[in-house]
Amino acid sequence: MTALRSTVARLFGKMVAEAPGSPPADFTLAPTTADECAAILDMASEHRLRVLPWGGGTHQGMGGRVEPNVVLITTRLGGMSEDTADLTITAGAGIGAAAMEERLLERRQTALFPEDSGVSTVGGMVASGSSGWRRLRYGPTRDRVIEVVLATGDGRLVRGGARIVKNVTGYDIPRLATGSFGSLGVIVSVSLKLWPMPEAAATVRVDDIGAALIRAYRPLAALETRQGCAIYLSGTPAEVTAQVAELGGNAEEGHAWPGRPTGPFVVAIRVPPASTAAAVGRLPRDAQFVAAHGVGEVIVSLSPDDGETPLALRSWAEDLGGAVVVLAAPVGHGFDPWGTPPASLDLQRRIRAAFDPVGVMVPGRMPGDR
Amino acid sequence: MPAAANLVEDLRRALGAEGVRAEPLDQRLFSKDAGVTRGEVVAVTFPRNAVQVSQVVLIAARHGYPIVARGAGTGLAGGAVPSQPAVLIVTTRMDDVVVDEANRTAWVGPGVINLDLSRRTASLGLHFAPDPSSQAACTLGGNVACNSGGPHCLAEGSTVNHVLAVEFVDARGQILTVGGTAPDPAGLDVRSVVVGSEGTLGVVTRILVKLTPNPPAVKTMLLAFSKVSDAAATVSEVIASGIVPAALEMMDQPMVRAVENFVHADLPVAAAAVLLAEVNGHVAAVDAEADVIISVGRRHGATEVRLAADERERLLMWKARKSAFGAIAQIAPDYYLHDTVIPRNRLVEALEEIYAIARRKDLLVMNVIHAGDGNLHPQLVFDGSVPGQLEIVKSAAVEIVEMSIRLGGTLSGEHGIGLEKRDLMSLVFSAVDLDAQARLREAFDQDHRFNPGTVLPAGSRCFDFGRSVAEGAWV
Repeated sequence: MTALRSTVARLFGKMVAEAPGSPPADFTLAPTTADECAAILDMASEHRLRVLPWGGGTHQGMGGRVEPNVVLITTRLGGMSEDTADLTITAGAGIGAAAMEERLLERRQTALFPEDSGVSTVGGMVASGSSGWRRLRYGPTRDRVIEVVLATGDGRLVRGGARIVKNVTGYDIPRLATGSFGSLGVIVSVSLKLWPMPEAAATVRVDDIGAALIRAYRPLAALETRQGCAIYLSGTPAEVTAQVAELGGNAEEGHAWPGRPTGPFVVAIRVPPASTAAAVGRLPRDAQFVAAHGVGEVIVSLSPDDGETPLALRSWAEDLGGAVVVLAAPVGHGFDPWGTPPASLDLQRRIRAAFDPVGVMVPGRMPGDR
Repeated sequence: MPAAANLVEDLRRALGAEGVRAEPLDQRLFSKDAGVTRGEVVAVTFPRNAVQVSQVVLIAARHGYPIVARGAGTGLAGGAVPSQPAVLIVTTRMDDVVVDEANRTAWVGPGVINLDLSRRTASLGLHFAPDPSSQAACTLGGNVACNSGGPHCLAEGSTVNHVLAVEFVDARGQILTVGGTAPDPAGLDVRSVVVGSEGTLGVVTRILVKLTPNPPAVKTMLLAFSKVSDAAATVSEVIASGIVPAALEMMDQPMVRAVENFVHADLPVAAAAVLLAEVNGHVAAVDAEADVIISVGRRHGATEVRLAADERERLLMWKARKSAFGAIAQIAPDYYLHDTVIPRNRLVEALEEIYAIARRKDLLVMNVIHAGDGNLHPQLVFDGSVPGQLEIVKSAAVEIVEMSIRLGGTLSGEHGIGLEKRDLMSLVFSAVDLDAQARLREAFDQDHRFNPGTVLPAGSRCFDFGRSVAEGAWV
């Protein structure tokens, strides 16, 4: 280890850094270029060091805990260039998702990242496959990742996709990298397809979300919380006005997005969309939640001491072909972060090995790792 | 060549006599797709389900033949053409449809015809959004293989955006399902890799598709321009203006004239270029959006604007657009069609270059373009019986590809790479990129049993650090 320390100091000394909230590691390094990132991973594979990529740290509660030798901080992987007229943008992994959205908003465009991005990075959003509430209308983030540069676990720089909105040239590595949680390598930069921001927006309070969802034409979101139900609309002013009237008229201008449930133990219940209401019906009476009707996701804050509820929810959701996954849990909490591993687990491991042959990337994090 | 007797016997034992064909006529019939390449077929099989597909995969492996899957054979890039003697799996008998109305999804067999699915779900007010021009003939299995698009992919996205899960048979004959109705299945998104993999990773035996609500209102319009550059500039400005039309298609004059002779839709044949634009959605939205497109078009010198007055006229406009490939038969016996993509704001330059290339090579080029997403379909029309013509056409095609890449684009938007563009992959990807793709392929199919020789050029798997996998490593 002493020899290794001096090697790291010599090669990567200027990259030594700290990240708030990141776990203790032998080396915490913040590369500023793709090549530096690849060099760190090459070293990690050579010395078989476990690597944990770290952006804003906002989604690190997902998946199994990683005990890293190297924390690779992505926040200095910068650069952002948009092609306004083509509705695409390319950004370094370390760019803040909120900063990107702010810049795009000046041109009335959006990458449709979660509405409450906080300190999340673009790389982290893509690596965790996080989508915002508007996915009912626009699909998940994965549908917008058109290009990715990936530093693989063994230090290769691989580009997949292209900065164009329609492409079937080779395998879809950008989509594969989306939601891969660092298990293939470190996302260095991404290109995204953008959408224009419609002129008008409204939030309509409704009593019967199921009926409203059928009546509304392709709303952005249909959300339910303990406080009530709402349909979120956008479009031309005439369209929004007409749809508001059709939905009963109890509306406010703009989008009043609910806060995501917080707490020591937060899970996402993922079921076929038509089972969303049934999932809500199975929640403990006082649990804070947001249910995305039409999508099939319910995010809920549960008591970390209640062992029964999450297991019952999981067994029910898995019977429907869904899952209950952990978004945040206290250290040492016994509830498995993913649940029953997918049937394609062997294949998934071979795919990981294609990108990370030594197996240094986030060991322990993915389904079936433990 | 005569089929290996033992192979055919083994296949017949598994599928029954009616499930296997191996006469010279069959071998010839199934040896090409709708493109220009021909391959060699040993036996043609028609399995009815995943179990039978698995049997074919194992039997072919035992006899040392690769597998090539095929739907209706409407592909244009040679993705269903064997690069070496192969056993074909024709998916057309796997055509079940099970609709889940509550979840707006359907499990479908790969042999279901694209348009048939939307017809089946029309009474529920739902449709399958990707609509390739060949949608009356092409299968959903083929759509999955090529990640097919179509005019309405501008607003709705390509096939991969509408496929939630696939069941496929892998190289070991195992039946695997990846993805599902619930959002964000845990683990790697294997489904996304299988879609668009052109039959190289496995044989897809069932597909879970997302169904899209039919729009309550639609407006379709034609805009005619006296200069191609005016039409292209209109496209760029509409995209930048903040509305996403349901479709935004373009045809140039040679194409419009050929189509008019074919469908008699009273198209503006004097125009240098015609745009076909469609907006759809809420009744209160479509008028304003149509107005935006029309006013942008007029600002760029549109000489004629024609709004479809009724459904009959609307369908006639679409018939004109979707007949483009068929209409070419009147001009010349053969055509060679490319499928490159460019950034949408480079359309003017791209078209100028395509015309210049055709002039230099003394070829007739006709353009039909998914203009809204920058997907070019220049068609070089020629007579293949004239010696040397095909070679000239292919050299022009390569120049068009190189130009598209120079403008920041890529090889294929919706037809795939197949055999046709395999050797051009190194124009857009580095050796390291191609090696990563080859490794990914081998994670599914170590021995290249599925569609060998397609998509990736020979020698892609060349880049190696030579590090061995550690014992007990996390792989």
